[in-house]
Amino acid sequence: MNKVWILVKREYKAAVRTKGFIVSLVLLPIMMGGGFAAYVLLEDKVDLKDKTVLVIDESQSVGDYLVKTAEYRNANEIIDEESGEKNGPAFLFKVIDKESDFEAQKLALSERVRDKEIHGFVHIGPDVINPGTDSDKTRIIYYAENSAMGNIRRWIANKSNDLIRQTRISEKGLDEAEVHSLFAFVDAEGMGLVSVDSKTGDVVDAKRSNELESFLVPYIMMLLIFMMIMMSAIPLLQAVMEEKSYRIAEVLLGSVTPWQFMLGKVLGGLAVSLTTAGIYIGGMFLTMSQMDDLPFTIPYDVLPWFFVYLIFAVVMYGSVMASLGSTCNDSKDAQNIQFPAMLPILIPMFLMMPLIQNPMSSFATWVSLFPPFTPMLMLVRQSTPVEIPMWQPILGVVGMLIFTILAVWAGGRIFRSSIIMVGKRPKFGTMIKYIIKG
Amino acid sequence: MNIIELEGITKTYGTHKAVDDLTLHVPKGSIYGFIGPNGSGKTTTIRMIMNILYPDNGNIKVNGKELIGSQLGNVGYLPEERGLYSKMKVKDLIKFYGELKGVKNLDAEADNWLKKFDLTKWGDKKVEALSKGMSQKVQFIITVIDYPDLIILDEPFSGLDPVNAEIIKEEILKLRDKGSTIIFSTHDMSVAERMCDYIFMIHKGQKVLDGTLASIQEKFGEDTLRVQTELGMSALEDLRGVERVNDFGAIQEIRMEPHADSQEVLSSIMSKTKVIKFELTSPSLNDIFIRIARPENTEDHE
Repeated sequence: MNKVWILVKREYKAAVRTKGFIVSLVLLPIMMGGGFAAYVLLEDKVDLKDKTVLVIDESQSVGDYLVKTAEYRNANEIIDEESGEKNGPAFLFKVIDKESDFEAQKLALSERVRDKEIHGFVHIGPDVINPGTDSDKTRIIYYAENSAMGNIRRWIANKSNDLIRQTRISEKGLDEAEVHSLFAFVDAEGMGLVSVDSKTGDVVDAKRSNELESFLVPYIMMLLIFMMIMMSAIPLLQAVMEEKSYRIAEVLLGSVTPWQFMLGKVLGGLAVSLTTAGIYIGGMFLTMSQMDDLPFTIPYDVLPWFFVYLIFAVVMYGSVMASLGSTCNDSKDAQNIQFPAMLPILIPMFLMMPLIQNPMSSFATWVSLFPPFTPMLMLVRQSTPVEIPMWQPILGVVGMLIFTILAVWAGGRIFRSSIIMVGKRPKFGTMIKYIIKG
Repeated sequence: MNIIELEGITKTYGTHKAVDDLTLHVPKGSIYGFIGPNGSGKTTTIRMIMNILYPDNGNIKVNGKELIGSQLGNVGYLPEERGLYSKMKVKDLIKFYGELKGVKNLDAEADNWLKKFDLTKWGDKKVEALSKGMSQKVQFIITVIDYPDLIILDEPFSGLDPVNAEIIKEEILKLRDKGSTIIFSTHDMSVAERMCDYIFMIHKGQKVLDGTLASIQEKFGEDTLRVQTELGMSALEDLRGVERVNDFGAIQEIRMEPHADSQEVLSSIMSKTKVIKFELTSPSLNDIFIRIARPENTEDHE
């Protein structure tokens, strides 16, 4: 064990004393927060250029309504009251006649859009107010570049429907003011569960659960553990391959057993990841404790689990990566094997969103109990505001423990057989033979 | 007492038998030379002694202990293919291996070895800054830093200039004098002849020679004439009773046919040219090696 410790020390020093480590320590949170920050920053950067939209109105009413409503909006809704500055683009709607060759007209208008002369054009079907059987006549079609994403399309839909609804109501002879209450929308609010305050013994209402908390906390946790694995377990593939191809491995094997060699590498990686996680989480909590009104509760109860999962994940994936690294002779071999080897870490990333949305589904339960996925997916489920039954993480840990022991054992046997082998990389079947024969 | 006992070990890669039923005993305190052509099984044998490869059959005992699956203690190993952590500082690297081998007074010992090999001023430099010869010396240091009982060196002199080779040779002899047993493989027959107490030759996975140089040479008898003549090689063509001539430039080594008379050969040569030197001797290790390792003992002269 003493020799393993010496190897771990060397690995750890070699990793944390490099410039690369310091750079990645700084870069990772920037990259992680970068997308979020960019979103927040860019959201305020609204395009202020006025948008001209031409309307071909066969309904003979919606088009004029859009023109008037847009004029009202331009006069009242796009000027910031405090600063007096414009905070959104004006919508300039103009009704034009439908030409006899409508296809040619649409093509000509499309050309004008491409030439940036106008922003887009709308075709309003003749029967939008009172839909008949011909569905083609009841459509409102908005033509523009990137029409599906633009908020003009939503605005046109909302306003057109306002008019359509009003017209239909008044055609029925009802008073519009009375009808208004018929359409009053009642939202369902999300609330956490009621609990007992441990200090006062009072029953307290839970905090209003907000979407940010439900999403952000599991997202950050998942990203954090993913990055720790990417920083410590995945590089073992390359590192072991290099030690093999630079002939360092056999020199080391004069002093340590292959088993100690592999364990030293894996535990060295673990030490690096624990250091990094410690720095990030310490930093995050320090920052959050200084903030007065956090938009979410700090998930103190998930933290110990985070480290449990991190330890298992790095040892489990690390052994697999190190043993696969021992089968590679050069970086080309390593590149070929890297992507399939990373799948058990990438798949949970794809499953993250459905699990955050529905952490208690039976799919979520079983997929998070699959040992290679447990570290990431059980953590995600536990980080959501939903309470996961305690037997699940415990069963997850038992599964991971068994799987980790197997991974380390099998990895050790592949490592032992491959680390000094040169020539062609062993095939999958050969590796299975190494595992069985030792 | 033997420090290494190999009993009938076999190692097969696929269908290729790398080592075939090999039995070998290495006495404690000796210098044992492993020779053999490339791919003959030297490195595989060494790796099995080092417990890096397991034999398919047979037993290996090191220091009286059965080896397979157990930890090998107090052995220094310099593999044929060797590399060092290039980003580490030289002294840190020596200390790292020293620590792994349980060396006491690590700092002083590292300084001592650096000084011995004239590397003191390189201690703080990174390994990548060393020349090939210097890194070979560092590799030698990390192999023997704990003065192990058994030292196994696979091609220790390859790529070394004569000065550095001499330094390492001297150190090997000193370590032997302090009680270490040394096994080394080499392609340099003159080094093996001069340094080794015992020589073991492996060819196509099988033991073909094992014993002291004298006992090996004795097997081949005094069938070699070493001559120096005025005409050199040209005077030695088409001689009766000659199996083969090795031309070393200034001198030639003549291997006689079995039962040929050395005096007859000498008079044939004297009839063609003036003989400056003439010696009847046993074959050199180099010649023995070539006799065994050549694809067939052809009659063509070199």
